[in-house]
Amino acid sequence: MEENKKYWKSFDTSGREGQLQPDSGGDQPVPDENSPVDNLNRRTFLKLAGFSVAGSAIVAGCSRAPMDNAVPYMNQPEEVIPGRGYTYASTCAACSARCGILVSNRDGRPVKIEGNPDHPISKGGLCPVGQASLLGVYDSKRLQGPQINGSAANWADVDSGINSKLNEIRANGGKVRVLSHTINSPSTQKAIDDFLSTFDDTQHVMYDALSCSAILDAHELTHQTRAMPHCDFAKAKNIVSFDADFLATWISPVEFTKAYTSGRSLENGAHNYSHHTQFEGRLSLTGSRADKRVRIKPAETGAVVSKLASLVAEYAGEHYRHQGGTLPVDIHLLEELAGKLWQGRGQSLVITGSQDVNVQTLCNYINHLCGNYGSTIHLDNPSLQCQGSDRDLLKMSDELESKSIDALVLLGVNPVYDLPNGDVIADGLKNTALVVSVGSHPDETSELAGFVCPEPHFLEAWNDYEPVNGLFSLGQPAIQQLGNQRHAIESLASWSGQANKAYDAIRSGWREQIFPHQSAHSSFDKFWNVTLHDGVSAVTMNPRQVSAFNRNAVKAPTAEPRAVENGFELQVIASSSMLNGEHGNNPFLHELPDPISKVVWDNYASLSPDAAERLGVEEGDVVNLNTGSKSIDLPAFIQPGQHNQVVAVAFGYGQSGSARFGDIGPEWIQGKPTVGDNGLIGTNVAPLMSLDDNGLAFTRSGVILTPTGRKHYIATTQRYDFISVPEKLRPPGAGVRAIIMETTLPDYQHDPSSGIHTPHHPDAQLWPDDHPYEGYHWAMAVDLNKCTGCSSCVVACQVENNIPVVGKDEVSRGRIMHWMRIDRYYAGPHQSLPQGDDVDVVHQPMFCQHCDNAPCETVCPVLATVHSSEGLNQQIYNRCVGTRYCSNNCPYKTRRFNFFDYKRDDDSQNLMLNPNVTVRSRGIMEKCSLCVHRIQEAKINAKGRGEPLKDGDIQPACQQTCPAGAIVFGDSNDPESEVSKLMHCPRAYRVLEEINVRPSVSYLSLVRNRDASGGGYHG
Amino acid sequence: MNRETTTYILLIGLVISLVALGWNLGSMRYLANHQFYEPDQPIEYSHRLHAGELLIDCQYCHYGAERSRYAGIPAASVCMNCHSFVTSSFGAFRAEDKKAAEENREMQPVISSELQKLYDAMALDAELNPDPNKKQTPIEWNRVHHLPDFAYFDHRPHVNAGVLCQTCHGSVETMERMRQEETLRMGWCVNCHREVNEIGVAGKPVSASTDCVACHL
Repeated sequence: MEENKKYWKSFDTSGREGQLQPDSGGDQPVPDENSPVDNLNRRTFLKLAGFSVAGSAIVAGCSRAPMDNAVPYMNQPEEVIPGRGYTYASTCAACSARCGILVSNRDGRPVKIEGNPDHPISKGGLCPVGQASLLGVYDSKRLQGPQINGSAANWADVDSGINSKLNEIRANGGKVRVLSHTINSPSTQKAIDDFLSTFDDTQHVMYDALSCSAILDAHELTHQTRAMPHCDFAKAKNIVSFDADFLATWISPVEFTKAYTSGRSLENGAHNYSHHTQFEGRLSLTGSRADKRVRIKPAETGAVVSKLASLVAEYAGEHYRHQGGTLPVDIHLLEELAGKLWQGRGQSLVITGSQDVNVQTLCNYINHLCGNYGSTIHLDNPSLQCQGSDRDLLKMSDELESKSIDALVLLGVNPVYDLPNGDVIADGLKNTALVVSVGSHPDETSELAGFVCPEPHFLEAWNDYEPVNGLFSLGQPAIQQLGNQRHAIESLASWSGQANKAYDAIRSGWREQIFPHQSAHSSFDKFWNVTLHDGVSAVTMNPRQVSAFNRNAVKAPTAEPRAVENGFELQVIASSSMLNGEHGNNPFLHELPDPISKVVWDNYASLSPDAAERLGVEEGDVVNLNTGSKSIDLPAFIQPGQHNQVVAVAFGYGQSGSARFGDIGPEWIQGKPTVGDNGLIGTNVAPLMSLDDNGLAFTRSGVILTPTGRKHYIATTQRYDFISVPEKLRPPGAGVRAIIMETTLPDYQHDPSSGIHTPHHPDAQLWPDDHPYEGYHWAMAVDLNKCTGCSSCVVACQVENNIPVVGKDEVSRGRIMHWMRIDRYYAGPHQSLPQGDDVDVVHQPMFCQHCDNAPCETVCPVLATVHSSEGLNQQIYNRCVGTRYCSNNCPYKTRRFNFFDYKRDDDSQNLMLNPNVTVRSRGIMEKCSLCVHRIQEAKINAKGRGEPLKDGDIQPACQQTCPAGAIVFGDSNDPESEVSKLMHCPRAYRVLEEINVRPSVSYLSLVRNRDASGGGYHG
Repeated sequence: MNRETTTYILLIGLVISLVALGWNLGSMRYLANHQFYEPDQPIEYSHRLHAGELLIDCQYCHYGAERSRYAGIPAASVCMNCHSFVTSSFGAFRAEDKKAAEENREMQPVISSELQKLYDAMALDAELNPDPNKKQTPIEWNRVHHLPDFAYFDHRPHVNAGVLCQTCHGSVETMERMRQEETLRMGWCVNCHREVNEIGVAGKPVSASTDCVACHL
């Protein structure tokens, strides 16, 4: 090193720009020779003085007094004890199925929604959308108050503005239209009718974005009543579904899941076990549970239903001939099916999600021939959960196009977004004199409305619903309204000139319309209070007039359109989290993995492996979908089990509201945005659908797919891989990974433990047997035969345990935080990667297995994860230092690490945090606790009552919400408990038993109702 | 630099530190241990008077202890159960009564300055009736007993097992102003949980859990 080399720290730019200055240069103070303390300038003095008093400061200041205020109530509300939870019975309004809910409140805030066990529709279950809808209350991006032409206004101005225009229309006899989704609230319906009765030319148009209009139209043709039949899946021994996803998205999924699983009980020899056949082009959740799944294109549905009808008609001695050429399915299959349907007359159910009225009438015909009307299908007390009419919608759309409507009131709808002709509607709205949008969020439609009149969240308002004829469900507010919104009933009332409070309107409506039909209570107040307490009241209403079956209505379905060469059939499908797109503002639902594809935060063009190979695309390649008139770009996703000529895309994505997720997730140098190139979550596919005389069509033939060469990353929580052990790594007798076990019904009836492989595992114990578990030993049993994979438990767990949303990029890095995940396994007949052939699907809820020999516990250097005396694997957040050894050593990969402080994207959403569960910070490991706070609460309550804890007193969030009743929690030390019985039943096994970690969670094997196979597929 | 000056300053600092250390040695404690914390309160409420002298049961005001995780601070309306009638100390009443008799006049209402704060918070007028022109202002008490957010203490099992309030809160009935008597640290909790499993509470055998999840949820 050169001796005279000079070192410097930085460029000094003070006055000498660009010149390098050695260390000594610059504006250093000139030493003052006359200073009393030589060289001791002010700074040095302060340094020294600071150092000297630091010691005393350490001693004096080590304990900072906490300044925290406690602010009690001024006036003690009756029955409310701070810190104690209480529940309100209400009704879920997240979709039009209207499940009963119990809203858990803490200190004036709803913190959890649970299913109401006494509600006849949902019987205690709740779907993921219902679970997640709680977040909407605390959503600060909701419309907070009324707007006139996009700027904030007050209600008086809005009302006077609207009323003056309405009065003009009244005087001129102009056209007034109300557009809404299915309204099954008697009071809202009455408010709409009252409003419209003040005009001359009016119509209330109901439509459903996920339309079922063809079903209603078909019943109008065949039974002279335009009604949605109420299906009873519990009684059906043979279920044949043509692309109706009734376990996830179709009409009333929670109700159907409850009934479906109860019809598949294995008790008493499983003699009444139902058989489920699903014909579909995509792989739906319902299809994944079917005993027999047949892949057909949606366009081929008509031919198959028609052939089936002709075969059943033959049995019935009626004449119906199927016209048409080749069948896409094996004729023997249909013959067998027809035979089964005919044998089990009155105990079957044939449904279709098709929007073709002819297919629906044929379906009605089959049900009529099989005598299902009156036994499994009820038309006299029909379902009111889906009432939309595509004919009315088309008529209104034409009127809007011809600019003949004077006033349009939009009740909670977003037609610009969710209709295929959204652009036409948008033009029409711009040319309509008065457009009033009543909704919750700013959206594509409210942007174009002159007046925006926001509605409160359903947990903030009084509501009533009639999901099934005669079943009245009440919704009560669980929190005081947070914004300046107004109930739709009140808005409509003030425009009809009779301002009224929603509560009064509902109460008086019930007094006049519903109370007289019941006989249980003599006074209205008593009736009202009991209904309010229970949440629901069944009343005998006049049944609908149903005519005899009209055979003449049955027509052969319209011919299949000729397939364009290389053309695909596009199928727009409902996603079980987005449904009709109403919930695009909910991050919980965006981060919920799709039950089949496990994709989060996106929609995509789903292709079979074969189709992808033909097109030469891989997952994430952006393809262009061209219908001839419209085209959109979507990333491709490869989906085994899908039809080779079908491209399936989920509806409900790409709303303008999803732009809010632009910066969700942690900010760091490698972070990637959650939104796509369009700045939104996914892409809206409504423009590819069609609305014409045949109604709203979700399928379209001849769609051309072309790869664009661009890439779009798709985040999934699970990819395909084998779960069998490679041969050279196999310990003796462990060729099959004991993860999924399944059997067939005949095998099960022969030997209930069939399909269960108890792997060989050493009896040797590394640990001394010094954990006696003398009191309780908590355990769980999960019945794979009941689980449909609906993922309701995942969201319930997320809400209950304050689990954060991490964003798409973090998910793609394997950092999703869900404590409960549902593993989806494909199984094919070949030990090769499933190549789009018919695959079997198994859904397996997976969460911390609370192993007695927990591998995570032995490696934690700080004892942050230890075993409790009740068999729980405890995770102690305040002790955790984040080494992640435990996660590495967990064979089930159920532990989650907080790589960041995953904050809510919306601060006000912190209000829904469960006060009984610690909020974890960065650097902390977390995992399923089996809802230990609920265990503690139940134990304390039982102690307070002086009674022993009863089996069933404790329900973790996942068990509570499960519509299928697949999860059972309890004390395995109690031989009489339900969980004990399940754990020791022949179907029970534990995952990866051969590694001898002794999990507390047992799984029950899956039983498929198909021919004996001598054992199912494993891994 | 002048070494001598530096040394002097450091020496003086050392002496101050040592004196301060000696002074505080007795109250040396761990971080976030707030034993003997005794903040001023917005109203000079005396537990000695209410619980000690007047023998009002703790759970008359802290009614949550038996039914909720939190014992709770009573709502102002609970204070008003008595203080609608009792507006001042007995001594002040006696004095006014005597004075009124001497001056041969009607007795004037006597309202203590501390209770006046309660009435102001409740928005009451001079006759202690709700004053529509005033707005209620919640009383912001200073919280004395404070556990970290990851510790979930629950009053119910303790109260129901017969643990006296004084076991954790000290002899509140002697405190003029509320004070944190114990450390409320985890070791202190666990020691008691271990001990009572041996000796029981109030002569009854109990099973106090020492599982982590008993408190850390």
